[in-house]
Amino acid sequence: MGKLTIGCFSSLVGSMTLDFAVKLAEAAVKKGHEVDLWLSGNATMLGKTRQSKFRDYSYLAGTVEELIKTGKFQITICEACAKARGIDKEDTMEGVNIHSMDWYLASAFSADRVFHIGGE
Amino acid sequence: MKLVVFVNDYKEPPILDRLKADKFGIVFVQNGVYHCTLKKDGSTSALLSKDAELYALSEDLESRGFKAEDVDSKVKVINYEGLVDLIFNDYEKIIWL
Repeated sequence: MGKLTIGCFSSLVGSMTLDFAVKLAEAAVKKGHEVDLWLSGNATMLGKTRQSKFRDYSYLAGTVEELIKTGKFQITICEACAKARGIDKEDTMEGVNIHSMDWYLASAFSADRVFHIGGE
Repeated sequence: MKLVVFVNDYKEPPILDRLKADKFGIVFVQNGVYHCTLKKDGSTSALLSKDAELYALSEDLESRGFKAEDVDSKVKVINYEGLVDLIFNDYEKIIWL
């Protein structure tokens, strides 16, 4: 088994790219790998509490909560990007970390595979 | 180096021609799967003639109404689990275009 670090900047309920990143993380954890998911830019919105589930909207918060419980998945949002969007610790889902970008770099250097997905 | 590139749109990224690797793969996801199923003026996408292993994500094909038999024979259809194996076992570096 190995460790996969994914970095994603794409927005929540925008393009389907953030959905792709979470589904890939889910598949990797199911296969026994460890996954670190780093979110910057608009992707930081995925860390927010009280996201609502609508029938025609993609809803990733539930999948993220399940992945956090596995203990093989870490999700971290960029502190600056979050603050720029008015997101502080109390606005963040249980189990979602907030760090500056050096967390992403450290994760990438200790990973077997690194997958950086840009914006939109 | 073993490099896999993800194409997520029905466009031809110019940078593709400048990428060199010992082993080279292209994975079509999201609207990129149209490269594997559509023809323009009777010709298949130029991306399918690259010197590369070609893959398409099954979930993105199905959500766009395509079945496996609609996909060009050069392209291997994989799901998310297959994609994880590809990333860990068949390639080392990953680029998202």
